Amino acid sequence: MLPFTYALRNLFRDPARLLQTVGGSAVVVLLLIAAVAMNQGMDSVLSSSGSPRNVILMGKGSEESLERSEVSIDAESAAATSISGIETKLGVAAISGEITYQAPIRTSSGKEEPALLRGVLEKALLVHTSVRLLEGTFPGPGEVMVGDLTHRKLGVEKEELAVGQQLYFGDSAMRISGRFTAPGTVLESEIWFDRNDLSSLTQRDSLSSIILRLENTNADDVELFTFQRNDLELAAIREDKYYEKLSIFYQPIQIMTWVTAALVGAGAVFGGLNTLYAAFASRIKEMATLQSIGYTRTALFVSLIQESVLATLSGTLLAFVIAYFLLDGRTVPFSIGTFTLTMTPSVIFTGLIAGILLGTIGTLPPAIRCLLPSLPKALRSN
Amino acid sequence: MKDNLISIKSVTKSFTKGKTTITPLENLSLDVPRGEFLSLMGPSGSGKTTLLNLIAGIDTPTSGEILINGEDISQLSRAQLTKWRAVHVGYIFQLYHLVPILSAYENVELPLLLGKYSKAERKKKINAALELVGLSDRADHRPSELSGGQEQRVAIARAIVHDPDLLVADEPTGDLDRESADSILNLLNSLAKDHGKTVVMVTHDPKASAAAHRALQLEKGQFSSEGHLLNTSTQ
Ligand SMILES: Nc1ncnc2c1ncn2[C@@H]1O[C@H](COP(=O)(O)OP(=O)(O)OP(=O)(O)O)[C@@H](O)[C@H]1O
Ligand SMILES: [Mg+2]
Repeated sequence: MLPFTYALRNLFRDPARLLQTVGGSAVVVLLLIAAVAMNQGMDSVLSSSGSPRNVILMGKGSEESLERSEVSIDAESAAATSISGIETKLGVAAISGEITYQAPIRTSSGKEEPALLRGVLEKALLVHTSVRLLEGTFPGPGEVMVGDLTHRKLGVEKEELAVGQQLYFGDSAMRISGRFTAPGTVLESEIWFDRNDLSSLTQRDSLSSIILRLENTNADDVELFTFQRNDLELAAIREDKYYEKLSIFYQPIQIMTWVTAALVGAGAVFGGLNTLYAAFASRIKEMATLQSIGYTRTALFVSLIQESVLATLSGTLLAFVIAYFLLDGRTVPFSIGTFTLTMTPSVIFTGLIAGILLGTIGTLPPAIRCLLPSLPKALRSN
Repeated sequence: MKDNLISIKSVTKSFTKGKTTITPLENLSLDVPRGEFLSLMGPSGSGKTTLLNLIAGIDTPTSGEILINGEDISQLSRAQLTKWRAVHVGYIFQLYHLVPILSAYENVELPLLLGKYSKAERKKKINAALELVGLSDRADHRPSELSGGQEQRVAIARAIVHDPDLLVADEPTGDLDRESADSILNLLNSLAKDHGKTVVMVTHDPKASAAAHRALQLEKGQFSSEGHLLNTSTQ
């Protein structure tokens, strides 16, 4: 085998090429880990937003969209009395009729962005168990409370959503009464209204859904209720299943990120191939000399691969450093919430594999072309 | 009976490309005694390099036998030949073919890395080889920092460092001025005379050929004449 230092020093033979390889692989790996982190972040926020013990009752035929769903106000008390197995806390049943509505919200600086609005009564906290008030109070009439990441969804500074500030729904000003957290869920980017407020602001007298928290994950009784009271035209879906369905809805976006990353990656590989072809072609005679000395083609091949992988792994490392400072912990808003980019071990692992693959697969064709000609021919070449 | 290091028996080498076949060497036989410095001359395209490549195990003949040290290398596979070269041959090229990113020392080290030598053993052998070619003080220089003659000396050190029986040189002085050429020829002569190496050298230069023990003229794939058998001493 050729010494490792031979591969290492070959790298510095052409500093421009080295820079190009390191930079190129850094871009590809960065893009890839961004794509993976994005998809993971989205999957993670969707999967942790739903609880298997929560069941959503929504209007029949509107299973895909909570915003389009209509449930009569009476259904809430009917469900509370007919369904057994609803969790109670301090004598209050964990059942929450809610209005969900997507609408543009304006901040005091004048910026307007769509946000997910949820009209609730205080017992909503009994079903949305991840929600905790960080400061202020639950919203009363004329008030709203905002999630800890709502500012990201609205694209404003956090100070603009501080307790005491105003938000505008159309022409109505709402005072921010409190701020809540709901770690890792889409709820954390929502704006919660008093239910009666949202009902009159949106001019609807029906609910969007009723959410119940059960004592266990067995939802048979809820199912039964929807059949017995088919006059209410309800459909039941477990909350975790609902968000699972949502993530299928977002799959095309995820596929798009993959395809984009793959296309840019392929472009980089082809660009890199070109420079490598030239670089290795100029070394055909040297390779032949080493073979005449007694080095096997395998040994030379390994050395060429080492050289490239060394460069692409340096690029990968660079990508990790950039990702650490630029991506890690960054929150990204999407239509129903906000997800966080996290450099998880699997993201790092994916980047590492990509770096190695770039180095090996990208080197394969030029290396083979460089080592394929017969030895006498290669020695003759100029 | 002479002790022949090289014994070539009715070797034919032809190249086929598409419908045309070129046969640069046809039914050629040659014996080279151990320790001989043999020069091969002949017009361009007469098959000198082709013959040298066969002797050095770089290429294989279309037919015939090539016995080196009693071993028929025409029967060896590509992989076997590679291993064989690592032990038995030192190849010296017209344009030196040093690895530009390695120092003189490291270039000379290359053949040794294929054997089982300790670092200290390698160092001893490399220094001895560099000393033999008169370049002890240039060990750390890169090829780009050496003159052509010095580069060729490094190349010779690289060819002899693992102590092969056989040295082949393809126009080793073709790119050098007279003075450098003469010192390279003296070196090759002394490697044969004092160190028992068998040297086969291809050259276009009659003066270079005169430095050898014996000169053969190759023409159209055949030896046309056998030259002098003199010059066993260096001037
Ligand atoms: N790989 C090959 N494929 C086809 N033809 C070849 C090949 N190698 C050599 N030849 C042909 O064989 C003949 C002999 O070539 P060779 O290189 O041995 O000549 P040479 O005597 O070394 O010439 P020169 O003095 O110019 O170096 C030439 O006609 C050459 O074109
Ligand atoms: Mg030739």
